[in-house]
Amino acid sequence: MASVTIRDVKKSYGGQQVMHGIDLDVNEGEFVVFVGPSGCGKSTLLRMIAGLEETSSGEILIGDKVVNNVAPAKRGVAMVFQSYALYPHMTVFNNMAFGLKQTKTAPDEIDRRVREAAEVLQITDYLDRSPRNLSGGQRQRVAIGRAIVRDPEVFLFDEPLSNLDAALRVQTRLEIARLHERLQSTMIYVTHDQVEAMTLADKIVVLRDGRIEQVGSPIDLYERPASMFVAGFIGSPKMNFFTSAELVVNAIKKLAAVAVVANIGIRPEHLTASTEKGALIGGTLDLVEQLGEYALVHLNTAAGVPFIAKMEKPPEVTKGAQMWFTANPSLVHFFAQESGLRINT
Amino acid sequence: MAIQNSVLIVSSILILTVILGLLIAVLVNRTFPGRGIVRVLLISPFFVMPAVNAVLWINMILDPVLGLNGLAVSGLNELVAGLRDFPVIGGFFAMWPELHPISFRATQTSAYAVIMMVTWQWTPFAVLIFMTSLQSEDESQKEAAMLDGANAWSQFINLTVPHLARPIAIVVMIQSIFHLSLYAEIEIVSRGNGNKNLPYLIGEFTSNNIGAASATGIFAVILANVVAIFLLRMVGKSLMD
Amino acid sequence: MAAVAQTSKLGKVLWPVLAWTIALIFFFPIFWLVFTSFKTDADAVKPEYLFFFTPTLENYTNMTENYDYWRFAINSVITSTFATGFALIVGVPAAYAMAFDPSRHTKDILVWMLSTKMLPAAAVLYPMTFLTKNLLGLFDTHFLVIMVLCLINLPIVIWMLFTYFKEIPKDIIEAGKMDGVSTWGEIKDILIPLAWGGIASTALLTFIFCWNEAYWTVRLTTIDAATLSKLIEGNRAPEGLFFGRLSAVSTAAVAPIVVLGWFCQKQLVQGLTFGAVK
Repeated sequence: MASVTIRDVKKSYGGQQVMHGIDLDVNEGEFVVFVGPSGCGKSTLLRMIAGLEETSSGEILIGDKVVNNVAPAKRGVAMVFQSYALYPHMTVFNNMAFGLKQTKTAPDEIDRRVREAAEVLQITDYLDRSPRNLSGGQRQRVAIGRAIVRDPEVFLFDEPLSNLDAALRVQTRLEIARLHERLQSTMIYVTHDQVEAMTLADKIVVLRDGRIEQVGSPIDLYERPASMFVAGFIGSPKMNFFTSAELVVNAIKKLAAVAVVANIGIRPEHLTASTEKGALIGGTLDLVEQLGEYALVHLNTAAGVPFIAKMEKPPEVTKGAQMWFTANPSLVHFFAQESGLRINT
Repeated sequence: MAIQNSVLIVSSILILTVILGLLIAVLVNRTFPGRGIVRVLLISPFFVMPAVNAVLWINMILDPVLGLNGLAVSGLNELVAGLRDFPVIGGFFAMWPELHPISFRATQTSAYAVIMMVTWQWTPFAVLIFMTSLQSEDESQKEAAMLDGANAWSQFINLTVPHLARPIAIVVMIQSIFHLSLYAEIEIVSRGNGNKNLPYLIGEFTSNNIGAASATGIFAVILANVVAIFLLRMVGKSLMD
Repeated sequence: MAAVAQTSKLGKVLWPVLAWTIALIFFFPIFWLVFTSFKTDADAVKPEYLFFFTPTLENYTNMTENYDYWRFAINSVITSTFATGFALIVGVPAAYAMAFDPSRHTKDILVWMLSTKMLPAAAVLYPMTFLTKNLLGLFDTHFLVIMVLCLINLPIVIWMLFTYFKEIPKDIIEAGKMDGVSTWGEIKDILIPLAWGGIASTALLTFIFCWNEAYWTVRLTTIDAATLSKLIEGNRAPEGLFFGRLSAVSTAAVAPIVVLGWFCQKQLVQGLTFGAVK
């Protein structure tokens, strides 16, 4: 178990800067998730920690040791790849043992550790098989097992669930959470899926265009997003954004004065149906998605801006009908129009 | 002259092998009895040593007197002569001129001989590649086309040919690489007559005029690089990614 | 697909017949070569013995007894094998570096290497003979032939290996790095086992090219290191004398490779197209 410290790390590819000075602390035993749209630099940052990408400037520390010029295998990290990257020509056992063999570990020690990890992951029965005879989920376990046997200080996961089908993804997500609970080791996990980030993380790092947009606990990010970007990225369905002109005429009075010049964000689950008089926003019904437990109601404001309300029951009106919604003022977010940064405290 | 000949020979070979290769590949790409053997027979010429290839063709097949060419023509002449004696049709055959076997040792015809033997050797190469590529053709695309009412010909033109664009490019590129430095065949076929390509011209100079050989050699190096850049910029890309 | 596609009865007969006919036409010259090798030199040029003759092994016994066939054949095997081996020893690390740690000029270097294949060999014949004969004293040695065959095939070897290696997912090599494997271990334990098929077809094709090479092997040897190409060159009499003998020598020179080729068709396609056609 070790902490990871990233100090003013920059990275350029052939003259083009892709990481613009990242500062980040990952505490011992913490589960940190890097999240962001594709191309935001989250994988690059992870690979820099792993030692698979060079760091153009700045320092990366694992524990209290600067590892910028340390070979990947000597950093005490293990990585689970998106494609699993199992050695196709080796059995499951040898896949897991390969790293230990490189360090000249005694054969009985290798055997013990591989079997132990296999036990945890319930892949003991497959140890003699070749990866090509395994299902996607089983391969994923082997890939995790390969990381476990090396008993690393830090686990790195690079979108490990994106090649699994939906059901298996939920199950494996749970298993990774349990694994973290059991091993208590530091884990850094990259994903573009905000649900994975919310459910797994102690701390989420939202990245955008090679910069950190916000760092915080999942609930922090949900309740107090630092920018419109984070607000739109965390939470599903996405937060609705309005300008003051789209709100009901005297709605501003019910909110803060700053709302006049701000972008106003309200999550679909925070919109509740109301009378015209008490409403913040009105719209005409476009479409209802019935999900049983709740319904997603798609509407358009008078100006034609689409928004979504999450309702317990589908409304009993037809397409084109006018509907009114309100929201608890404490759950309404304001963002500066130019910068998109959060205004209300 | 030598350059012209180089271009003529290489381009004729390319066109012939691609067309023949395509036709044969489509032909063989069906299941029928003995397909495996047919494939083995078809591919064999590719493995024959170029030197043997040239000797075989020029001496034993195309030779105007002793080769099969000469024998076949004289056989035909005898046959026609024999037929002239028949009562009715004899009159018809009497009008036939006596055939002369074509000599493939003259300047121009020997270029044809080279084209013929190299085409023989490299068509199998094209067939092999096109066949492999045909097997990877997307069947569901064809099915979709059939549902859209496309007939076999339009399927071939609209689906198969575009699918083969890449293999065709590769066949052209690889063959150009090999044929630009074609030597053995030219040497054996055209010893002493005017049918030279660039490599052969250099070879000739080497024996009597080192200076000229070097000069032509440098010219050939430049030419090869120009062609290479041109060709590989075009085709190489598809190989790279 | 087959369910509705209708082939007429005529087509069912016509296609195979057509295919067989073409195959036989293509194979005919080889057949003729083998066929002629069983005729005596005198019979070979007589029209009346065109198809019907008394087969004889005279040419083959003559070839082995008087023309030292086995020495040439062994030289061919030795030079082709070692040239292929050396080309792989140089080519595997080179292609590995190019595939997994490319610089901005890697592609240009590959293209340039391949362009050297278009260079007419005759252009450098004089310097080559001059150097090897007068300066290095390597003329007509196995070493020289092996080196020359290795070098002229190296561009193709590297390019082919490069394309095979590129098909190996980069992740697997990186996983190896995470597991702490050395560069040599990476090549030995990961790269070679994974690219085994590709390496084999590269080797096969290189061997065939070496075996068939007839420019340098003829010009840089006299007796000691002379290969089968040289033997054919030596037996090539002008204007169709000794057809029988020539056929026998040719058959014996070509047969091993043709048979080898039959068995390895699949790998060859892969190899020849640099893996670009599947």
